[in-house]
Amino acid sequence: MLLKIRNLNKSYQENKLFENFNIEIKENTISCILGPSGCGKTTLLNIINHTVNADSAILEGFENKIISYIFQEPRLLPWKTVKENISFVIKNLDIKEETVDKYIRLVELEKFANYYPSKLSGGMRQRVSIARAFAYPSDIILMDEPLKALDIKLKLNLIKSFKRIWQFDKRTVVFVTHDIDEALLLGNEIFVFSKAPVIIKDKFTLSSSFSDFTLEKPEMISLKKQILKIMD
Amino acid sequence: MSKVFSKNRIITLFSTLLLIVAWKVVSLVYQSEFILPSPESTLISTFKIILSDNFFPAIGLTVLRGIIGLAASFILGVGLGILAGTNETFNAFLKPILVTIRSTPVISLILLALIWFKVDMVPIFIAFLTMFPFICTNVIDGIKNVDKELVQMAKTYRISHWRIIREVYLPAITPFVFSGASSAMGFGWRAIIIGEVLSQPKYGIGTFMQSAQTFIG
Repeated sequence: MLLKIRNLNKSYQENKLFENFNIEIKENTISCILGPSGCGKTTLLNIINHTVNADSAILEGFENKIISYIFQEPRLLPWKTVKENISFVIKNLDIKEETVDKYIRLVELEKFANYYPSKLSGGMRQRVSIARAFAYPSDIILMDEPLKALDIKLKLNLIKSFKRIWQFDKRTVVFVTHDIDEALLLGNEIFVFSKAPVIIKDKFTLSSSFSDFTLEKPEMISLKKQILKIMD
Repeated sequence: MSKVFSKNRIITLFSTLLLIVAWKVVSLVYQSEFILPSPESTLISTFKIILSDNFFPAIGLTVLRGIIGLAASFILGVGLGILAGTNETFNAFLKPILVTIRSTPVISLILLALIWFKVDMVPIFIAFLTMFPFICTNVIDGIKNVDKELVQMAKTYRISHWRIIREVYLPAITPFVFSGASSAMGFGWRAIIIGEVLSQPKYGIGTFMQSAQTFIG
């Protein structure tokens, strides 16, 4: 099934971000939106999430879809433990406690379930936010540059955690980044955005054998070169 | 140097002793128990007062009035503070009321309260009026300082408004609330005792201070 955004128009004062923009996102895949800063990637996520109104748009397939969000910052409540932070979003939703434990295990934080965020590293906190997004019974997970503030080692760990959890629970993910490596490591489909007004310069579909967590493969190196050329 | 005998603690101790020595010196200069009793006679009188029949009722009732005033100002202060902090219109409405209460001299309020209320209610009313603006203002400041990203996260996950208040705003403002209550109590106790001095309820610290002053004459 496809989630479609058609004839999207959005301007901020004089600046046209989107003009009759169209995109189709496959369900149950990780779709990566790759583009320069300020091109409208976050705005697109916010339009999907209804926190920003488009000037006009037709959104097909998004009706009644529940959305969870992984922000750039973990946004954990400092006065709640890891487990309580995840339980916070699923309270009153008829979801068993075992679900929370399951996702904490999937991000390998079971020893830290009763820790407060202040006692965790940045990468661990972001893993909690990933577990929270998956524990929430959403249909779509939006990710807005969640790896931006992390160093390379932490990034790779987080990508590993994310892919482990996604293998278990293949939800529709729309993931925004300006980092090509992140796109190659995480995305099943990569949309390369231009600067505003946005057009999709190219789209790449990675086979499952591609994204086995190494950028050293010749296919990945070649793909990276192609993308760099398009982005330039 | 061990923690017990840290430099700053020694300085504090020295300063306290200096205060007591200065007190003694001044009392020796005036040589009058009416103008400034000596530290040792004050200590003896303190023990006599503690052992008197009226001591515990007086302390107990003053404290009770303080607790009632604090509880009322806490409940209303936190409640209205949350409303004002989350709603600009209500904040604009509440602002002149808080400013008026804070800027009115306590003595004027006491004199008015003597006309409006029974004697036992006056110190409670004054305690409330003194403490409420502190707590309310601090809660409003606390709400405005809550991390907006946490609130946005909660809204993204469709957390209800009441749960956001209970589980995001309230824990976030706790340090502000306690800071406000702490400041409020400092002013509040003084206001209660002044209220008791002027309204003269049967038992109260202020009542007995006023009686003691009368008997000096």
